Amino acid sequence: MLRTALSTLALALLGWWSAAWITKDFHAWTAEGARRLIVIEQPVAVPKVALAGPGLVDADLYTWLNGAGRATIVDFVYTRCPTVCTTLGSGFQQLQHALATETTDGVKLLSISFDPAHDDASSLQRYATQWRADPNRWAIATVRDADQLQGLLTAFQVVVIDDGRGGYEHNAALLVLDGRGRLVRIFDDAEFELALNYARSIAQREAGE
Amino acid sequence: MTSMCRAGSQSARWRTAAVLLLLSLMLLPSVRRMTESSMTAHMLIQYPCLMLLGALLVQELPARWVSAAQRWNELGIAGLVGSALTLAVLMVPRVLDLALVDARVEALKLIALVASGAALRLSWQRAGVVVQVFFLGNLLPMTAVVGTLYQDSAARVCNAYRLDDQQALGLALVMIAIATAALWLLQVATRRTGNDALFREP
Repeated sequence: MLRTALSTLALALLGWWSAAWITKDFHAWTAEGARRLIVIEQPVAVPKVALAGPGLVDADLYTWLNGAGRATIVDFVYTRCPTVCTTLGSGFQQLQHALATETTDGVKLLSISFDPAHDDASSLQRYATQWRADPNRWAIATVRDADQLQGLLTAFQVVVIDDGRGGYEHNAALLVLDGRGRLVRIFDDAEFELALNYARSIAQREAGE
Repeated sequence: MTSMCRAGSQSARWRTAAVLLLLSLMLLPSVRRMTESSMTAHMLIQYPCLMLLGALLVQELPARWVSAAQRWNELGIAGLVGSALTLAVLMVPRVLDLALVDARVEALKLIALVASGAALRLSWQRAGVVVQVFFLGNLLPMTAVVGTLYQDSAARVCNAYRLDDQQALGLALVMIAIATAALWLLQVATRRTGNDALFREP
């Protein structure tokens, strides 16, 4: 019976250790939860990506993000999206409104379409018009080369799947990137206030440095 | 007699080969892509198939190895605790997502499933009613709770799978938990039991 007690104990410890590892010490049960914790521990640098969209001519994402005292709130969308992107769209509109009262150039907004095959310049322009995006505050873009899309999605753990009805399901969220082109925090797609405050604080911190 | 033995060992060899062939089929990248294409298939096709193959594979091992291992597994306690913990960990939604993108996690998941099938096979008969109750009493309520969460969550718990898929899986998990409990009770009720059988199968 001693042997059985020992082997049971060993298996229990192994089970405990695996559970702790997979849940990040019992803090994250889903991949989405883990993604948000991992970004806090270890900011993710943007890969090399060229953007295209209204008002953007071959803009390199890193260069676009780069600048003293700047933070960017990014969301990933596709312009035909009927559900979650509508929430994101109106949320971004409210963020733009909140930012309009500011004189400093601290926080910017960027919507990136993960559907470059469908979202050409005119679709993006239509989306910008629909949400009355101010091009000085809120850029709407997609990747210029479809080849660079997967690298960007993988780096940020944005997962896009077929929704079976001709559209996509995706882990929509608010991604806050700092002026050095790093993804530093991820907020829930309803936490616009929190995302804005966080983006402001890092923009100010970077401006102070 | 000799010829019978030879025939027996030859058919055993064929059986072993068949189990190994099926196992390697399940591990082929294209078959894995198929069995992992939906959350429901992932948990209700791939998981049980690999466990079943683990259970079949362990029967092909030399009796000497099995009896040596069983010295560490009295009343099937170690095997059932190990299987229950393995299945509990493999029901964490992050495992399903991570297995699709991280080869290490996928490999460990596949090994754990085969091993827990083998452990169940080696342990179930040795465990009496009491140890079986302990095992099922942990695993089935957990399965039902996970199933309920999958159904009730408005958000997706796996980034790689759809919400309707998750809800269908949730319903199926609850039904499986109930059906397993009912079958087990029926099996205990219809069997002649002595005191002895409470702890160890006759």
